[in-house]
Amino acid sequence: MYEIQELTKIYDMGKVKVKALDGVSFAVQDGDMLAIMGRSGSGKSTLLRQMGLLDQPTSGRIIFDGKEVTRLPERERAKLRLRHLGYVFQEYALLGELTAHQNVYLPGMMLGEEGNNYRERARELLELVGLGERMNHYPKELSGGEQQRVAIARALINHPRVLLADEPCANLDTISSGMVMGTLVRLNRELGVTVIFVSHDPDDRKYAQSVLVLSDGRIAERGGLVK
Amino acid sequence: MTRSLKVAGLLAATSIRKGSIGVTLLIILILALVGLNLLFVPGLLGGLVWGANAKVIQTYTADIVIESKRESLLIRDVDHLISRIEAIDGVIAATPRINMGAEFSFDDERTNAVIYGIRPEREKQVFTIHESLIEGSYLDPGDREGILLGIQLAGADQPDIELYYRSLRRVHAGDRITVTYANGLEKKYTVRGVFHTEYIQTDLQAFVTEKELRAVNPLPPEHATSIHVNTAPDADINAIVAQISSIRNDLKILTWEDYAGIVRSMTDSFAVINAILNVVNLLVAGITVFIVTYIDVVNRRRQIGIQRAIGITPGSITLAYLMRATFYALAGIILASLVFIYLVVPLEAQYPFHFPFGDVYLRVELSGMLRTALILLSAALVAAFIPVWAVMRIKILDAIWG
Repeated sequence: MYEIQELTKIYDMGKVKVKALDGVSFAVQDGDMLAIMGRSGSGKSTLLRQMGLLDQPTSGRIIFDGKEVTRLPERERAKLRLRHLGYVFQEYALLGELTAHQNVYLPGMMLGEEGNNYRERARELLELVGLGERMNHYPKELSGGEQQRVAIARALINHPRVLLADEPCANLDTISSGMVMGTLVRLNRELGVTVIFVSHDPDDRKYAQSVLVLSDGRIAERGGLVK
Repeated sequence: MTRSLKVAGLLAATSIRKGSIGVTLLIILILALVGLNLLFVPGLLGGLVWGANAKVIQTYTADIVIESKRESLLIRDVDHLISRIEAIDGVIAATPRINMGAEFSFDDERTNAVIYGIRPEREKQVFTIHESLIEGSYLDPGDREGILLGIQLAGADQPDIELYYRSLRRVHAGDRITVTYANGLEKKYTVRGVFHTEYIQTDLQAFVTEKELRAVNPLPPEHATSIHVNTAPDADINAIVAQISSIRNDLKILTWEDYAGIVRSMTDSFAVINAILNVVNLLVAGITVFIVTYIDVVNRRRQIGIQRAIGITPGSITLAYLMRATFYALAGIILASLVFIYLVVPLEAQYPFHFPFGDVYLRVELSGMLRTALILLSAALVAAFIPVWAVMRIKILDAIWG
């Protein structure tokens, strides 16, 4: 599904240049549940943003489904994000003026499914993540864990091939974290969605099928099936 | 396109519904005030021009003025010509005039003006001066002793009129004044009436009957210095002018617009003033919408970044802001139109503005209102587009995390 080749990302901070990724190469197979781990500042989130086409690397290539997508124009990247990639941000990133239901179906509306299918699917996804009863609530009326589950549901609305989650439990308590990670595992196992998540918590290894550990922007460890 | 419209509609509707009601009302109020200004100024200037034109036509020139091209400046065979003119479709009536310069005196006051010899019954069918008498009565057809004076000549003890200090100041209906004609003849007349049309050039005129002026200044019979033609409101004046031209070739035929150059010059000046005020108003509207959108976009930069990150196209996001600007502009226009039609216009009609050519009433025309709406809407859209376009150029991650 993904082929990452010699990916390098250098942030230009004026006089200082920070190398966040340094020649990272690896591949992700369909149906995998990959944990990208490492200490703070190791380049995990930077790597996920390049894979989610939210940013462009300084050098290297990203191949998605056999096509190079590294330097696509923004319009094409937006299309890919909308159709094939679901992205879950660390801090939920819901739209505060929309209800949970509207937040979830907005990308579906943008993709333009026939009729109102996206509304029904959004309702089903909210039920899937255990929030069927709260679909008409606004983000500020939901807990952190609930907001993150709404964000996961939103990421799934357009049947993405891959779900990218950037520290999805960073701001959550233990119970909420368990629910969110449990949801990701179910999506991977029951719906076959490829899940790539970033975490700095070593305990989260248990949810992954494979692990990539970064250190100073380089791959420090690449592991297969964890369980 | 439908998808973009639906997404933009949802984003725009929710941002209006969930936004601050106070801020929304304030924006609409500011745009309504700008809209009101855009309606009021052209309405006032339109009313001013319309009022001035109406006074000129009704009291000074009529719709068409006919003069002579001949060296003597006299129109020959007047009665036959008038009967031919009145036979033209669209002509209501025509009246001849002869005139002569004269000096007027009353007690110690003296002034100069032109005296017109008129046919009173015909004049009433062409002009409305007889409806503007403030004292006395109109001339009778056979009157040889009476004279009608405009208020700017008589003064009538009204020092607030524009030319009071060059008038006879204290002359009223029933007073006897002395007229010394340009040919040296001096005669006393009884002032039959004083009229006040509120158009200065008319109110500087004096009238005696045609019979009387012919007696004072023997002209060849059937001759006049001018003929004034009143046409039906829906008549094609240019077509009538063409038909009169075809009767004889020794006539100089002018429409009221050709004759009243002062009004045309005033209209042109007002058009320039109107354009300048409109530009200022539009700048105010544009800057208002720009500031509102700019502050909003800056505050929502992160939200816009998230929208882009989840695949909402920049076109849909921009369209949402344009829809919101359209909502503000339309609400402002509707509010301005309602206030203008149901409050400002009736109020102004009760307390009209007073100008040298009469009371001025606001003119409301649908085409003008539509034009105002379109201009305000365009200004709002352009002003909203600029800040959104600027944010769309920022990288997604910079928009989300700054």
